[in-house]
Amino acid sequence: MADNTKKKSLRLNSVSTGTEIVIHIILGLFCLCCIIPFIFVIIISFSSEASIRQIGYSFVPVEWSVEAFQYAFQKLPQIWRSYFNSIFITVIGTVLSTLMCALYSYVLYRPDFKFRGFFNFFSFFTMIFGGGLVPTYIICSQVLGLNENYAALIVPLLVNPFNIIVMRTFFQSSVPLELIEAATIDGSGEYNTLFRVVAPIAKPGVATIALLNALVFWNDWYLSLLYIKRNKVLQPLQALLMELQNNVEYLNRMAGQMGAAAINEAAKMPSQSLRMVLVVLIVVPIACAYPFFQQYIVSGLSVGSVKG
Amino acid sequence: MARKNATPEKLPTPMKYRFSKYKKTLVLLTMAAPTAIWLLLLRYLPMGGIVLAFKDYKINPRNPSFISNLLSSKWVGLNNFKFLFMTDDAKIMFRNTLLYNIVFIILGIIIPVAFAIMLNEVTKKFVAKTYQTLMFFPYFLSWVVVSYFLNAFIDGQYGMITAMQQAAGGPVTNFYTTMGPWPYIIVFANLWKNVGYSTMLYLSAITGIDSSQYEAAAIDGASKWQQIVYVTIPHLRTMICILFIMNVGKIFNADFGLFYSVPMNSGALFPVTQVIDTYVYRALMVTGNISMSSAAGLLQNVLGFVCIVTANGIVKKIDADSSMF
Amino acid sequence: MKKFLALVLAMIMVLGLVACGGGNTDAPANNDTPAQTDTNTPADNNTDTPAEPAASDLEPVTLSIWFDGSTVTPDASATVMAELNAYLQDKINVTLEPIWGTWADFDQATVTSLAAGDDVDIYFTCNWSGDEYNKYARDGYWVKLDDLLPTYGADLLSTIPDGIWECAKTNGYDGIGVYAVPGLKDTATQNCWDLNATLLAELGYDVDEVIAFASYNPDFYYSDEFEEMLQKAKDAKGNDFYPLVGEPVVFERMVNNTSIVTGDLQTANVLSFYYDPANPSKDIGSTIVNKYGTPEFKKFAERTYYLAQKGFISPQTQGTDTSNAYMEACRADANYLFCSQSYAFGCEIEYSAARKIDVRMIPAAAPYMDSTSGQGAMMAISAVSKNPERALMFLNLLNTDPVVMTMMNYGTEGFTYNKNADGTITFIDENRATYSPWTNGVGNIRILPPTSDQGTDFWDRFSAYYDSAEALPSGAFIFDYSDMQNEATAIGNVYAQYGFQLMAGATNPDDVLPEFLSKLQDAGIDQLVASAQSQLAAFIG
Repeated sequence: MADNTKKKSLRLNSVSTGTEIVIHIILGLFCLCCIIPFIFVIIISFSSEASIRQIGYSFVPVEWSVEAFQYAFQKLPQIWRSYFNSIFITVIGTVLSTLMCALYSYVLYRPDFKFRGFFNFFSFFTMIFGGGLVPTYIICSQVLGLNENYAALIVPLLVNPFNIIVMRTFFQSSVPLELIEAATIDGSGEYNTLFRVVAPIAKPGVATIALLNALVFWNDWYLSLLYIKRNKVLQPLQALLMELQNNVEYLNRMAGQMGAAAINEAAKMPSQSLRMVLVVLIVVPIACAYPFFQQYIVSGLSVGSVKG
Repeated sequence: MARKNATPEKLPTPMKYRFSKYKKTLVLLTMAAPTAIWLLLLRYLPMGGIVLAFKDYKINPRNPSFISNLLSSKWVGLNNFKFLFMTDDAKIMFRNTLLYNIVFIILGIIIPVAFAIMLNEVTKKFVAKTYQTLMFFPYFLSWVVVSYFLNAFIDGQYGMITAMQQAAGGPVTNFYTTMGPWPYIIVFANLWKNVGYSTMLYLSAITGIDSSQYEAAAIDGASKWQQIVYVTIPHLRTMICILFIMNVGKIFNADFGLFYSVPMNSGALFPVTQVIDTYVYRALMVTGNISMSSAAGLLQNVLGFVCIVTANGIVKKIDADSSMF
Repeated sequence: MKKFLALVLAMIMVLGLVACGGGNTDAPANNDTPAQTDTNTPADNNTDTPAEPAASDLEPVTLSIWFDGSTVTPDASATVMAELNAYLQDKINVTLEPIWGTWADFDQATVTSLAAGDDVDIYFTCNWSGDEYNKYARDGYWVKLDDLLPTYGADLLSTIPDGIWECAKTNGYDGIGVYAVPGLKDTATQNCWDLNATLLAELGYDVDEVIAFASYNPDFYYSDEFEEMLQKAKDAKGNDFYPLVGEPVVFERMVNNTSIVTGDLQTANVLSFYYDPANPSKDIGSTIVNKYGTPEFKKFAERTYYLAQKGFISPQTQGTDTSNAYMEACRADANYLFCSQSYAFGCEIEYSAARKIDVRMIPAAAPYMDSTSGQGAMMAISAVSKNPERALMFLNLLNTDPVVMTMMNYGTEGFTYNKNADGTITFIDENRATYSPWTNGVGNIRILPPTSDQGTDFWDRFSAYYDSAEALPSGAFIFDYSDMQNEATAIGNVYAQYGFQLMAGATNPDDVLPEFLSKLQDAGIDQLVASAQSQLAAFIG
């Protein structure tokens, strides 16, 4: 059935072979540019430390080694826990934030909602103005109790006004108002309309927002830096990486001021290949999760979506 | 503002359902509530801290809580903003921030839209998916990692380009002290990192287009190109405008890592890499004054707000449906 | 639209205030006894009472302490704290809750916590990172300790030498005094050339002769002999070899014998004293100068540029972000001839073993003491602390009781180390890797047991070396530019643009130095130097 539709629209939509070759060349080259740095990171993570010292970062290391991976998993048992933390935070955070975003933007999309203008501005305004780091930190940690717990790693990132606006735009461009009208006349409740009628149509949009949210939660390290101090068991993976990274940068900057202390400490910093190992460990899971979201975004490509 | 441009007029609600109209509003309010409460607590409450920008923040040891510190700190008017305009370098950093952002905004619309349309035309969906996945990869890498990657090419000692120049017997360029190539490197790096992201947004918008519209256009004898111009692009218009307006709002903010880490914090490149955010960072490395950083942030926000309102106004004049509010 | 905006703003204000009230309710409760009255009254009342009341008389309290630069895993911390807290409860009825901050915490987490008034009792602080100690003492973040010390820190007072206490004094919120407990660690600065003696001997030099020639020799860097050695090394090892390695900023200090003025613009470091390399305590006229404007700096920059053009300095050394990592790599592989080194006692032995060559140190100057080294690692009690006295009692114990210091710093016996018969210890490397605070950042390291590598008399020799250091004539001076912050930010940016690369020989001083100096002038360097100079005059009295 789906195959049928696909074939038909393909025939109708297809471009000439020549054009398609040009498209493949352009996209192919760009994608090559995109993937090479990542291959580069993988190569470095498998380079021996001596090789990096000798010739710097290179595509062709003098010597290969899996030492950094071994080191990472043996010496840093925290990595497994951090893996769990990252996944946990990402799953819970993505579900909650996508749900909240969809609900809010659906309301903004409804032209018959009385306070639409107010809520629109209410979220938009926060995209431009914020209270700054310290006041936000105080509200979170001292008033809301977001301290040394998972909530501290999830709640502060739940809402992103940018996503609300994007989601609203998705609704506007893909969900016809007549549909809601029809559903209302059929006696469908508001929540029912949203989840049963609107959501299936807006799937590509919801999947996009979910992916964006998942990325935000997966990549975040700053919340951990601010709110997780005593209970470092809760650190997500990205925070481990950034901690190493920031330490190296800090010691680099302070080397002139700290003298011997900085030099000795810098020598103790985990090796450069270890940092690349962490990059690999961080990117691989989210890259694997990507097709899951993508299937909703791309699958709709040739299938007409708005058929009552 | 927003109310006036609500697209179609109110849905027809029979008068006898007056009560249900209130009910509807109530139900919709419950939908908005979680996010609204979040915004109130985590965004609006801390805004009281904006006064920090006009104070000389000092602790009040008699009662060292943030609020009492804030209240007891001296008002200094606009003094905290002065450091941004102290020297001639101010011109350079404002110019760089604006010019780079303008280029980013323009290319950041054209290229992703083009890529999204191209992806949509790729017949083998598996290949399209692969392209799209690969395009997204740079988004995962932090600027620091990108800087290592770039460094592998242009490093003065180990770099591949350096090695090639040496092999050719020519003079070796020290890229970290030569300004010429950097504007291009920075623009390319920015696009490279963000194109996948925007492409995905546009692609999902294209996905939402009813395919019957293409069929109708094709039956009317529209060429592929005409289908793109008359069906696809008008459908993307709202998304383009919204993203445009939002980016204009950030025109005075620069991506710190791109301008700091990628050029390896090299002083000789400041004339082409110094932007407001790096200037503020370097300034605060010296003073560590949170009032000054608040001031800089506030200035960027206010300017951004002015720009966003202007851009929204312009978009509204051209196409009322695509404006943001 | 306007009305709407006004409405929103009004709402924010109201809500903000309500929330402030809400947020406040617990904060002032903490501070029913404001820190200040605390610091005065108990000291006055308790002078007769015994300095250390029995633990059982004391209320049990939990203290949190924020370390920096630590590599401690949560599990290892739990293991050590279990034992340490049992001991502490017995002694002073304190339960310790450590925050194992890392290096980068300084910039972000610590500063945020401080500004927000988090309930942390003790913070690590120092003068070299953001001038936190002096600046935060001025702004009222730290509790002044002078009145508390005789009662709650009597042992501390007698353990830490007067010279170090002198360096720890600063003009803070409650007047001149001590606002943090200084750590008794490597309290002197000595710049050395780290020499790859093995390579130098291979080049046909008599190492001792070279060392004798170079020691305390202010012209060594400019001498033909120096250049000849570098050239020979380059010829012998090939074009990819860069014999002169190090931290360009340190080169400048060791060649020109300039010292850092405490409270200077951090990394920008524009102010300097000159001192006599052979005799640092000699008063050669205490004047603060803009070091980039001096003929000495010009000479240094020209020479460095010349050496770089000759191919003696790697492009990696010339990059702000690469120099430190490159230096580490070169040193680890013994891939250098001369390297800058800020001396740490006994480091040449350690280095020789690690690099498998003969590492020798050539002193560029005698060791000296100033507030930069004296304030290198301190522990301050936060004004927010509910128990400043108990916090000080803990610091007193930490710095004077070897049991506490050893556990805090090295971990527990059988877990991170084993005791040897001669009193030294040997680390269990596997566990020590999970529990290694920054040794020097914890406090008085001289009461630690020596490791078997260091030898039984290590700390005696250590103390002898550092205690022999002479104090710079105006070394205890602390510059305060808090009323010139705008100038400071501009100068910081100008420095970032030119300073490092000039010192690294990356840019030609003939072209760049005049531009640098004129930009510094625009940014207000003259006012800054004048202000420093008048403060110094007032300090000398």
